Amino acid sequence: MNIIVCVKQIPDPETPAASFKVDEAAKKVIPAQGIAPVVNPYDPQATEAALRLRDADGGGKITVISLGPDSARDAIKHALAMGADEGVLLSDPGFDGIDNFQTATALAKAIEKVGEYDLILMGRAAADWDMGVVPTGVASILGIPVVSVAKGMEKDGAGLKVERVLDDGFETVETSLPAVVSISNEFGEPRYPQLRQIMLAAKKTVQVWSAADVGLGADEIGAANRWLPLEALYVPVVESNVEIIEGDTPEEKATALAQKLRAAKLV
Amino acid sequence: MARDYAADISDPVAGEIVSNVGVWVDKEVVPVASDYEHEDAFPQPLVDGMANLGLFGIKVPEAYGGLDLSFECYAGVCMELARGWMSLAGIINTHVLVGYAIQEYGTEEQRQKFLPRLVEPEIRCALSITEPDAGSDAQAIKTQARRDGDDYVINGQKMWVTNGQRAGVYLVLTKTDPAASPAHRGISAFLVEAGTAGFTSGKKFDKLGYKGVETTELSFDDARVPASALLSGEEGRGFQHVMSALEVGRINVASRGVGVAQAAFDDAIRYAQKRVAFGKPIVEHQAQQIRLAEMATKIRAARLLTLDAARKKDSGVRSDLDAGMAKLFATEICQEVTLDALRIHGGVGYSKELPLERYYRDAPVMVIAEGTSDIQKIVIARNLLRDYPV
Ligand SMILES: Cc1cc2nc3c(=O)[nH]c(=O)nc-3n(C[C@H](O)[C@H](O)[C@H](O)COP(=O)(O)OP(=O)(O)OC[C@H]3O[C@@H](n4cnc5c(N)ncnc54)[C@H](O)[C@@H]3O)c2cc1C
Ligand SMILES: Cc1cc2nc3c(=O)[nH]c(=O)nc-3n(C[C@H](O)[C@H](O)[C@H](O)COP(=O)(O)OP(=O)(O)OC[C@H]3O[C@@H](n4cnc5c(N)ncnc54)[C@H](O)[C@@H]3O)c2cc1C
Repeated sequence: MNIIVCVKQIPDPETPAASFKVDEAAKKVIPAQGIAPVVNPYDPQATEAALRLRDADGGGKITVISLGPDSARDAIKHALAMGADEGVLLSDPGFDGIDNFQTATALAKAIEKVGEYDLILMGRAAADWDMGVVPTGVASILGIPVVSVAKGMEKDGAGLKVERVLDDGFETVETSLPAVVSISNEFGEPRYPQLRQIMLAAKKTVQVWSAADVGLGADEIGAANRWLPLEALYVPVVESNVEIIEGDTPEEKATALAQKLRAAKLV
Repeated sequence: MARDYAADISDPVAGEIVSNVGVWVDKEVVPVASDYEHEDAFPQPLVDGMANLGLFGIKVPEAYGGLDLSFECYAGVCMELARGWMSLAGIINTHVLVGYAIQEYGTEEQRQKFLPRLVEPEIRCALSITEPDAGSDAQAIKTQARRDGDDYVINGQKMWVTNGQRAGVYLVLTKTDPAASPAHRGISAFLVEAGTAGFTSGKKFDKLGYKGVETTELSFDDARVPASALLSGEEGRGFQHVMSALEVGRINVASRGVGVAQAAFDDAIRYAQKRVAFGKPIVEHQAQQIRLAEMATKIRAARLLTLDAARKKDSGVRSDLDAGMAKLFATEICQEVTLDALRIHGGVGYSKELPLERYYRDAPVMVIAEGTSDIQKIVIARNLLRDYPV
């Protein structure tokens, strides 16, 4: 089974809130000083899922794709060090300011260029923007099924049986292949890269493709061509007021609280 | 949140390895280290994790199935292990050190017999020099190995053997010629396997720190080993061989000093920004800034000194001067920095709720074991005097 895994590099979600800044005029996040970007936490789980399927299947190739700046190479190297076979970095100054739909378009084009694939695995969402639309976008552009928020899967004849996480439980669905599956944190811990694999990964070359390499024109990408115009970007101001509810007995306090909540239309 | 502790590693692959080990340490070691430490319990799951990463084969040559990574990489890895828990770097220390002695001085038969088994590791290694009446003065050992036909028969008592209960092979320093002068010409090292009749590992010491990993006595009571257990196959070379292998141990211990000091500093600089006294975060009191600046400067100097000694060793030249300086400096500043971090934490630093007390208790063993600071200074001075003949 040939599998493609999409991994994204994001600002470290553990960055303390105080170092998180937004340039409201440019509508951009200002990267925190001295804190290295990391792999989106769900994406190593997608890589782990690919490795387990490959091992159970006894063969096939795992190709890792990331769209991002040159530093996104580290996200690819991490997947290679976990045991993936090949890496492609989609990088182009023209990608600056792209939206989710353009990202999905570019990834779909790169996936078509990679060619033979049976399965595309992604994280359930990227922990920076947390929108979770890229997997669906890629599937719809490629015209193949998508199963989102998976916690487990196994090969089932020519298809795949996938266990999904729901709000109130789990469900198991079957899909034909090729398909896109997005992996959730319930999937379990990804493996740590072993020293030997890190050494092997260092010897592998990551291919770099530009927008033109995957057949995207300058009029399709970049901030000017977003499908999803960004109106404003700002850090919300959270206000909190504390009010002490007076009363002689707990019953009186509770009644006063209930009345206030009703007045505020909260209950 | 990840700081780049691999920034000073010059080789990019080594840097990636150190970063990845750091991630493992943050996720797997940091949350549980104090619990194991307070119970003095052997951290089997963490040792299994280290084995899975491949750490035990880090210095074994590729020809014997190992990774053959650099000393620079090894030093960086030990710093990261110790940043989580100093004992983990101790568990790997004698293993790598004895592996190095086998690779450098062992016979081909000894290399083939042991080195492949050190990678997985199927067996771990311990080093046994110290005795009740011989520590710094290692030539004063009394344990004796007497030739008897095709065998040697070993008798004597050893002390302070780290990994002394769980090792599969012990590199043991003995006297094959007690009358030799100078004494080191009569000293020979043997590779003694666990389970050898007459060889037992005794009492486990209850220590101030450095817990989890066992440090024990060893007894040899007519323990019979084949002549093929003699390291290098030649009598009278053991002292030199073990002293040379101790360079590797000094790089390890220096790295531990850096790692523990770094852990203490990381906690202190965060705490100093949160704790308020006299109306402002204590870090805004200049005395605390000065303290933090001094701590960070010492750690950086120790880190660079240690990596420099490791790179020297990688280049193949003798590095006992460099390793000695690194070990001396890094372990001494570790004592100072862990105490400073305690001071910054005030009362809570003294509580077992926080790891500061562990760092503080773990520091002293490093100025003692693998050659005390006094002995390091003697080694350093001896090297310097050789370079300045008059
Ligand atoms: C170079 C670059 C510049 C950008 N500039 C801007 C900007 O100026 N303004 C702005 O508002 N936004 C910008 N973005 C962010 C962008 O709009 C979305 O964050 C991005 O398209 C992914 O959407 P998401 O975060 O919702 O991903 P999700 O849909 O939440 O991600 C789900 C999964 O999709 C896959 N995936 C998502 N993105 C990638 C990727 N890049 N490479 C490989 N796999 C991926 C991963 O498997 C991930 O786990 C930029 C993104 C990139 C890569
Ligand atoms: C936790 C722990 C683990 C250990 N693990 C091992 C191990 O795995 N294998 C092993 O073989 N040993 C091990 N040791 C032993 C360790 O190497 C010795 O304790 C150390 O070398 C000091 O020897 P000593 O204890 O006999 O002290 P001594 O040699 O008695 O020294 C006492 C004091 O005298 C000073 N001194 C001695 N000689 C001189 C001199 N010439 N000039 C100036 N001052 C001097 C010393 O610096 C020290 O301050 C371990 C020790 C500890 C505490």
